[in-house]
Amino acid sequence: MNAPLIWIVIPLALTGLLWFFHKQIKHSALITFFICLALVVLAFVLPVGSFIKMGLLTFEIPTTLTLFGRRLVLEAADRYWLILVYGLGALWALGIVQSRVHRSFSPLSLLMIVLLVAARAVEPFLYAALLVAVAVLASLPLMLPPGGRPGSGITRYLIFQTLAVPCILLAGWAASMVDINPSNEVLRLVASVSLGLGLAFWLAVFPFYTWVPLVAGEAHPFAAGFVLSLLTTTALFLGLDFLNGFGWLRNSEIIIAAFRLVGVFMVVTGGVWAAFQEDLTRLFGYAIIVDLGAALLAISLRSEIGLTIFAAGLIPRLISLFVWALALACLQGRQIPLTFTGVTGLGHRLPLLAAALGLACLSLGGLPLLAAFPARQALLVELAAQSLPVAIWTLLGGFGLLLGGFRLLHVLLLRTEQGWRIGENLSEGLLLSTGIIILLLIGIFPGGILGDLPQTMLLAFPNLP
Amino acid sequence: MTALLSVIALVLLLGASLVLLISHHWRWSIVALALQYVAVFLLVQQVWPLGLSAVKLVVGWMAGAVLTASQPEAGLEEDAVSWATRIFRTVAAFLVWLVAYALSPVVVEVIGGTEIFHFCSLVLVGMGLLQLGVSTRPLRIILGLLTALAGFELLYAVVEDSIMVAGLLAALNLGLSMAGAYFLSLDSTEESR
Repeated sequence: MNAPLIWIVIPLALTGLLWFFHKQIKHSALITFFICLALVVLAFVLPVGSFIKMGLLTFEIPTTLTLFGRRLVLEAADRYWLILVYGLGALWALGIVQSRVHRSFSPLSLLMIVLLVAARAVEPFLYAALLVAVAVLASLPLMLPPGGRPGSGITRYLIFQTLAVPCILLAGWAASMVDINPSNEVLRLVASVSLGLGLAFWLAVFPFYTWVPLVAGEAHPFAAGFVLSLLTTTALFLGLDFLNGFGWLRNSEIIIAAFRLVGVFMVVTGGVWAAFQEDLTRLFGYAIIVDLGAALLAISLRSEIGLTIFAAGLIPRLISLFVWALALACLQGRQIPLTFTGVTGLGHRLPLLAAALGLACLSLGGLPLLAAFPARQALLVELAAQSLPVAIWTLLGGFGLLLGGFRLLHVLLLRTEQGWRIGENLSEGLLLSTGIIILLLIGIFPGGILGDLPQTMLLAFPNLP
Repeated sequence: MTALLSVIALVLLLGASLVLLISHHWRWSIVALALQYVAVFLLVQQVWPLGLSAVKLVVGWMAGAVLTASQPEAGLEEDAVSWATRIFRTVAAFLVWLVAYALSPVVVEVIGGTEIFHFCSLVLVGMGLLQLGVSTRPLRIILGLLTALAGFELLYAVVEDSIMVAGLLAALNLGLSMAGAYFLSLDSTEESR
């Protein structure tokens, strides 16, 4: 039994089995939840790559699985990543029934997670691009179940994610050539440009992010939230893998400057669009863009604290997106239009849904005492130390999203003729209120809740500062 | 012999990619796609073993078959058959060919291979991107992606001959055609309602 078998091959086989239950949505959601939870627990307790002694028995969990001459490697340093993605799977599985998402969500979501874990584990690294592309193809029926119609957002998503494949493959080849022949400036340029383009397509970086708000509007909000959370998180980790793997790349001033420039553009443009948005799904999309921009800015700090900020911001971000997507899906399930006009006065009828919507938005905007604030505040401090104009622009972008959030809150709490009542059902109420409490707890006690998880992530990138 | 095959492949590629761009009949488009993969096969077999390069042909034809099975009548409907549109697209295609011609010596310098080989690969990439830029219909988008990817596969074949990469790229091509078929089936379901 080796690590890739536990976290890739067995879950892949279980995905196949899950397909037989996918018509019983409650059962398949429950099975997905327990599979993901078991894998998270195993990632916590199993010391991969070292010997385990159980009484007289001593055994080792090897890190490598060789498949068709290629290697899948999951080391002890990948623990944080495994906990993060399978934890994400468990979290989203909890909301499947309440969100009324299509019944194929359970098997397809697990399949996507397994493919993306394999993408990070595969060696040589260039195969990651192809595995991510297959995961993208698996996400299409998830976001666009039978009965829907492919809009421009979904088709753009497919185009950009597919175009990333040649760019990353070419970057992988050119980067390995640069390692052999470091003085070849042309190959270095090819590697940098194609890697930059590939990451820009994957991460929906400025100016290739137009599909994000469109997809959020066209697909089921819960499915769109899941795909956007998972794909962007994976792409960020793969980008860090690239930086970690190639010395000339992580020391390149141009690459780091590009990260900073596009990061600022994303935060500012996303924030401005969010401030004046009337559509809740698009506001969701712009919030993702702002948050991705902040993640790129944290990486651009090129320091240990920058990476810690990036890692510390991941869990709050994923929980905020889950709460927001679930609230949107619950509204859609009630046939409530997902616009500012549609949710006017909703706080009086569905207070937990309204609170979840408002707080998730404000959390991603970096409002004090909410989950994303500690990481965002630390980011602003570090940015200000390196470049004050960048910090000011980032602050303004964040204000834009906060303005959108406050506008939403104002609309949700507008007085109506009806009195106060709690209209949510028990399961929705439990999930949403737990999400809200976690958002508040992480905001108030960030160290106490997250512990040393962010620092553990840095072990996967030993070459980064 | 190799030069002759390259010239045949070039003529096939130019014709097929132009038909893919301007045709409004799905049958013609699928035939052009099939011919395009014949040209890709003729080129790839110059740098790969024959058996491995046949994968490109088989996969390309299978992708065409998958798209054909979904009866993509509606896939090209959006574009009203106007001569102005066709002339515009043909002129744009000529521009793409010119750019490909200008860039191919640079690519040869960086990657290796022959100019005619890389001219073909760049033509395919350019025509695919052009196709993606001029339409929003699912079938055209999938045809554009398959064309651009075929161009890249040609370029990449010079530097990488791994069976695993060939297999995964084949899976990606088939996956794209299945995604296209799925999109088209959604489209027709919507219309039948």
